Amino acid sequence: MTGSRRLPLLLLPAGIFVLAVYVWPTLLLLRNAFNEVGPTGAMVEAWSLKTATETFADGFTIELTLNSLQLSLSATAIALALSYPLSLFLFRTDSRFRGLLAVIAILPMLISGVVRVFGWLAILGDRGLVNTLLQSLGLISAPIKLVFNWTGVTIGLAESIMPYMILALLAGFGQLDRTLEEASRSLGASPLRTFWRVTLPLSLPAIVLAAGLGFVLSMSAYITPKLLGGGRVFVLATEIFEQATTNTNWPVAAVLAIYTLGLLLLLLVVSNLLARGLKR
Amino acid sequence: MPTRRLILQTGLATIAMPAVLRAQSLSGQITLMSYAGIFQDNYTKAVVEPFMAANPGVKVNYAPGGTSAQMVGSVRAQKADPQIDVVIMDVTTSSIGNLEGLFEKLTPAEFPVLEELAPEARAAGGEFGPAVTFDHLVLVYDTQNLKPAITKLADLWRPDLKGQIALSAPPNIQGLALTAMVEKMEGGDHRKSIDAAMKKLKELAPSINTFEPNPDGYSLILNGVVKVATGWNARSQLYGDQSGGKIGTLLPPEGSVFQINTINLTAGSKNRAAAAAFVKHALSQPAQKAFTERMFYAPTNAKAQIDAKALARTAAAPESRANMIPVDWNDILKVRDQWNNRWRREVISAAR
Repeated sequence: MTGSRRLPLLLLPAGIFVLAVYVWPTLLLLRNAFNEVGPTGAMVEAWSLKTATETFADGFTIELTLNSLQLSLSATAIALALSYPLSLFLFRTDSRFRGLLAVIAILPMLISGVVRVFGWLAILGDRGLVNTLLQSLGLISAPIKLVFNWTGVTIGLAESIMPYMILALLAGFGQLDRTLEEASRSLGASPLRTFWRVTLPLSLPAIVLAAGLGFVLSMSAYITPKLLGGGRVFVLATEIFEQATTNTNWPVAAVLAIYTLGLLLLLLVVSNLLARGLKR
Repeated sequence: MPTRRLILQTGLATIAMPAVLRAQSLSGQITLMSYAGIFQDNYTKAVVEPFMAANPGVKVNYAPGGTSAQMVGSVRAQKADPQIDVVIMDVTTSSIGNLEGLFEKLTPAEFPVLEELAPEARAAGGEFGPAVTFDHLVLVYDTQNLKPAITKLADLWRPDLKGQIALSAPPNIQGLALTAMVEKMEGGDHRKSIDAAMKKLKELAPSINTFEPNPDGYSLILNGVVKVATGWNARSQLYGDQSGGKIGTLLPPEGSVFQINTINLTAGSKNRAAAAAFVKHALSQPAQKAFTERMFYAPTNAKAQIDAKALARTAAAPESRANMIPVDWNDILKVRDQWNNRWRREVISAAR
């Protein structure tokens, strides 16, 4: 057996691991999607499409999907608007603290999602930092509702996906050739025009990659909508959890989980195709 | 020549031998799954540790199982190879487990302690694990910062409480219980319709700070996030004591709803003898007395002699019993999804 033929063997340990911890549980999930739940809440083993049919016939599933898409879009747009200039700065800076600054930018990844969310509650709550500051400046007389609603969830989610998007942008900026920007400037283009006509188009594949990643992470986010939503924010991830752990309705939870997985795969494929098209 | 006394002694010894052997043979480990936090701390001290002291060969591992639905989910996932021997959980989920064959039927022949239980405790589990604690829904409030204090359920609609209320919406059972209470307050009957409750709760929606208190309503009051929350009597009483009186507990005069925890013996338990012994112990008079006096859950063993002061703070107090709305949780289970949807579309949407 030649060396190159043996190469796939290197995939074996990871392959076995993925089979055991991902493929097998996903198949079990799929199996559950065919079960039914009786009127008393007890699960009945079956091979039926009744649960799936009823779930998709329920208008609430469409509402959940639209809510998830809308929330992911808003959070990704905010995170991108904040991450792009930051990543560009980190990519371009010659500062000797560049490494340290990059670590600081992705530091939130090292903190538990739950802790981060409780941090946001302390900042955005009625008696939090923002409301206290605005009230002490006399700008508002009563606290503005910044948590336990869509606003809080969007802010928290945007912050939680930023580190991932920064890493994706930094990785994608490899194609950004500084000499092209210098050529643009030497031909008389203003810095703004150079950015608009040269830098931005060249960094589009990185933007698409980062946005795709941010969108997918937002779609599957559970902790932030659950804890910052105050029971008012209904998205696919929270509904899956609710059905599985409060209603004991595993079949509906399984149907929604498989559906969300399909949506995410579709989004990843579209995002990758778009990024490839832009690279060409 | 065998004397009469010797024959009598031999006879008695023969009769008693199986029980003696059974008591002596109790050994190994069992896993008890139930709620985490203060329930775990107090149940361990009041019930688990005395059981282990009386049965030195048995170790009880307390596994905190999250919500009742999560617990029944754990037992369901381990149906082929049970790792949990005894589960204490809400009756709405244990009844699902009973229907799915996850738990054993208990007979008075093997569990004579069943005969000591209050009739409603036996009825809660049917032929399966009976009620082990009773509790009821209360309003929890900040005694220091809420002036005047709330005195009735209708006070939730007070204008000064706008943005100051945390309540657990359905499918959480607190939300389901509240629906029945508001329906009764409005002169209706939840068994017929919840229209009046929905209309009234929709008016309350703008006052709600969160429909999903995390970690719970008691903590949000202690942290000053809200001034009123829905809660369970036993926990509220204990938090009230622990917080030096900051947490107040109100049993609404308009009525409340019982919450029932049942104790369930897992079918296929690997150490059934020890698990069954634990169930008997948990339902026994001393264990029921110890836990009630420690955490204010009402006892289900009618013969347990509870300290009068402790009993007055439980769901078993005459004042509490008189105020209870008859709710059959098995019936509620059938309309839970429907109520849940109405809350989302009529109440929560009005609060956005």
